Amino acid sequence: MSLRASCWTAFGILSVAFLIAPLVLVVAFSFGENPHATLPFGTPSLQWYVKLFNSRDFWDALTNSAILTACVGLLSALLGMGAAFGLSSLSQRLSDMGVQLISLPVVLPPLVLALALATAFSSARIPLGLGTVIPSHLVFTQPFVILVIYARLTAFDRSLFDSARDLGASSFQIFRTVTLPLIAPSLIGATLLAMAISLDDFVITFFTIGGGMTLPTLIWGMLRTSLDPSINALGTLVLILTLGLSVVALKLTSYKG
Amino acid sequence: MSRQRTLSLVGAAPSYLVWLAFFLAPMAYLFVVSFWRVRQYRLISDASFDNYILAAGEYRHAIIFTIALAGLVGIITTVFAFALAYLIRFHAGRYGDLLLFAAMITLFGGYLVKIYAWKVLLGSDGVINQALLSTGLIAQPISWLLYSPIAVVITLVHFLLPYALLPINAALRGVGDAAVEAARDLGARPIRILIDVILPQCERGVLTAFALSFFVSAGDYVTPQLVGGPETFMVGNFIQSQFVNRMNSPVGAALAFVTLGITIVVVFLASFAYRRVLKACAP
Repeated sequence: MSLRASCWTAFGILSVAFLIAPLVLVVAFSFGENPHATLPFGTPSLQWYVKLFNSRDFWDALTNSAILTACVGLLSALLGMGAAFGLSSLSQRLSDMGVQLISLPVVLPPLVLALALATAFSSARIPLGLGTVIPSHLVFTQPFVILVIYARLTAFDRSLFDSARDLGASSFQIFRTVTLPLIAPSLIGATLLAMAISLDDFVITFFTIGGGMTLPTLIWGMLRTSLDPSINALGTLVLILTLGLSVVALKLTSYKG
Repeated sequence: MSRQRTLSLVGAAPSYLVWLAFFLAPMAYLFVVSFWRVRQYRLISDASFDNYILAAGEYRHAIIFTIALAGLVGIITTVFAFALAYLIRFHAGRYGDLLLFAAMITLFGGYLVKIYAWKVLLGSDGVINQALLSTGLIAQPISWLLYSPIAVVITLVHFLLPYALLPINAALRGVGDAAVEAARDLGARPIRILIDVILPQCERGVLTAFALSFFVSAGDYVTPQLVGGPETFMVGNFIQSQFVNRMNSPVGAALAFVTLGITIVVVFLASFAYRRVLKACAP
């Protein structure tokens, strides 16, 4: 029995190492002087960050990513909340169908959706840019907000609304004073998730942005062309941003799988 | 009440309009384009199956290779995720949440960074070879770790494990303690409890995990391009190069829909097989 227990412990530790170690390594390389991404790391240094911050491309990509993430987050929140409210007023069967349909883009391989969008934009002669990336991202970020808010709306006590209404509150007052405070943590959490997903997306961005750059497409460029060691610094920054958003989001939605 | 309901439905409209305009319409258009052809870099409407015949002919080997590799990744990821979820549910106690958290935080970020990390880890002078050389386990660096199908499998399993863990973890949490304890009290061995009690209740979670990891691997082109080497050409690479390098979207579209169709069939077969195997293992 004790042998079995230690086997499970070893498996658990190895699994966590497998999941986390590659990312820890990138972070460690970003702070070392060794430019070759081999051991040893070399003396601690911030030179790769200095190099990164001195590049114009980085600031362009960061600006684009910031605009994109903010717009996608805001629109996902608004549209997702609207959809979740609409769905919750339907019958169980219809709302299940609605949720499944709107979640389809998440299941599809990103490459297929990316090519569909790129082909459609090019045939419709819509010029590519952030304006085309934003709705393309919305398609696969809004389902996360809808799923979380819809689950929240169907879970809480309906009698709260009835009492508010009996006490003479208008629909808008009920929304502002009862519904919104109840869903606020979930809404913020789901929005942050949508932002993390948008910030990290490479495939759909790459095919719908045209000439511009975001942080992931900048990483792609560095991976393709040269072994620029500042890629470790850039990778670390993207990790910190997306993981940070995820951790706060998971806490707020008290999401446990 | 009815006015309020109309208002709610109007609220849902923008979201579904975005879905219609930027998902359904482009997908439908891509499907139509898969029957067209290209002349001098321009799309010409047509109604021919030539692209599909090309996909089933010239690209047959790439499609078979991709389905096999994606199937392998799907199975490894699902089994790995199941073992991890099983550990979290039955053996880890309060460390379970910590394990789950470790998996979840990397779920929504770091796609390219993860691929890059494996490129660094698996290379000839990469960290794994360095470590093995310094311990004296090997005399020469293992060259087939990077730029090989193995590198693609490792990278994809690492990327997909958290995704596969979620549905299986949810399914295992739905398995009641009472049934498991009753089986144990009646003297069932852990393996029998797994087959007779736990797995039949996890069908949906396990199949969702498999379908997700299988779909994503079959459609991925970034991983094979960065760590797969010159011999690991998956359909995604051909689809991408038809669009980008050859400007031939009809052929690329046909390839995409053929692959999509086969993956859907495989997932159906997998769900059929899951039930059959469990039934065959029942006493």
